[in-house]
Amino acid sequence: MKIVLKCFSQVKYALNTDEMMIELEDGQTASDLEKIIRKKTGEKLKGIAVQIAVNKEYSDGSTVLHNGDEVALIPPVQGG
Amino acid sequence: MIITPDKLHSWILENKKIRVIDIRSEEQTEELPINILGAIVSSVESLPIQIDRPNILICQFGVITEEVIASNQLENSYSLLGGALAWTNYKTERKDLSRWSRQIALPEIGIEGQKRLNNSKVAIVGLGGLGCPAANNLAACGIGSLRLIDGDFVELSNLHRQPLYGLDDIKQKKANVALSSLSKKYDTIDLEAVPVMLDSNNSKKLLEDVDIIIDSTDNIKTRIEIDKISKDLKIPMVYGGLYRFEGQVSVFNFKGSPGYLDLFPKKSKNSDKCSEAGVIGMLPGIIGNIQALEAVKLIIGMDSALIGKLLIYDSLSHSINIMDYNKIK
Repeated sequence: MKIVLKCFSQVKYALNTDEMMIELEDGQTASDLEKIIRKKTGEKLKGIAVQIAVNKEYSDGSTVLHNGDEVALIPPVQGG
Repeated sequence: MIITPDKLHSWILENKKIRVIDIRSEEQTEELPINILGAIVSSVESLPIQIDRPNILICQFGVITEEVIASNQLENSYSLLGGALAWTNYKTERKDLSRWSRQIALPEIGIEGQKRLNNSKVAIVGLGGLGCPAANNLAACGIGSLRLIDGDFVELSNLHRQPLYGLDDIKQKKANVALSSLSKKYDTIDLEAVPVMLDSNNSKKLLEDVDIIIDSTDNIKTRIEIDKISKDLKIPMVYGGLYRFEGQVSVFNFKGSPGYLDLFPKKSKNSDKCSEAGVIGMLPGIIGNIQALEAVKLIIGMDSALIGKLLIYDSLSHSINIMDYNKIK
């Protein structure tokens, strides 16, 4: 299945993109996706905490993904 | 030209010769009767305009009369700012609300909403890029009392995004300069400068008596302290954060809604402060104003669209994403 990954703030700059398409196996969760991305991109996301939203709703990571889902990785920001 | 209710009142006391013309419909005059020196009731089409004395034109909100005077190029004629609504309020409470007539004309605000703003108290924690526009626009919209909290000093590198300060203010305390800057523009507001950093020793004292807290800090430690007090004292907090071209806004702890630590329980190890990551100067103006807007909605009793929701604004694409985190609690 294909998942749309949306990247925000530090994640966007670390991966140099605000959106990418990811191929996952059926039954995989939002947490699985985060782990796959962190592994696939080496050290780029090291030290960056993220919250996950699936189709614009926050998820604790256990959400099982479906083809066409949009998963957002949202880090906290502190600039003011 | 326009005239405020206060000025009109002084003209009446001086027995100045004026002609008052009420252009409202019968329905409007019944809804809001006014009694000013035997006002002449007239339609716009047959205005009894003579320039021997000042003509005071009155409509319901003071919007139509301004247009009538401008489009007909009427000489020696004044539109009553805020119209019959502002005049009625002035006569009953001796309070001139006419400067806010354009927002009072909005049915969602009205006189009652404006009075709520005038009677409200807001604390702004952090007077940097977000705090400057939030403070300025909250003061402008008629918030009754603002507490300005920041222990930091103005620096040259602040000026591109912090419009309450200028070159002469460098090395001065931001809270004091902000007070001075706002007090020159807005004479209706009670301003208090607190030129110290908010921390766990003073947070309760500084925040316990306000209606809304604007979180415009630049560090997560202070944000977590504000969140704690906001939750404990059940005072809603409007959060704003920035990263380069991107900004976030959310409303925390409104009637038990999730707070900052519900939204972001994990902290990044990488620093993303503006001083290190950089920030485009216009972005804090946009985000700080959204914070001020949500504060106004909460004060007047409207629904904030951002309770339990995180707005993420990207100033490069102008895209807005709103993430719902109500269910995560």
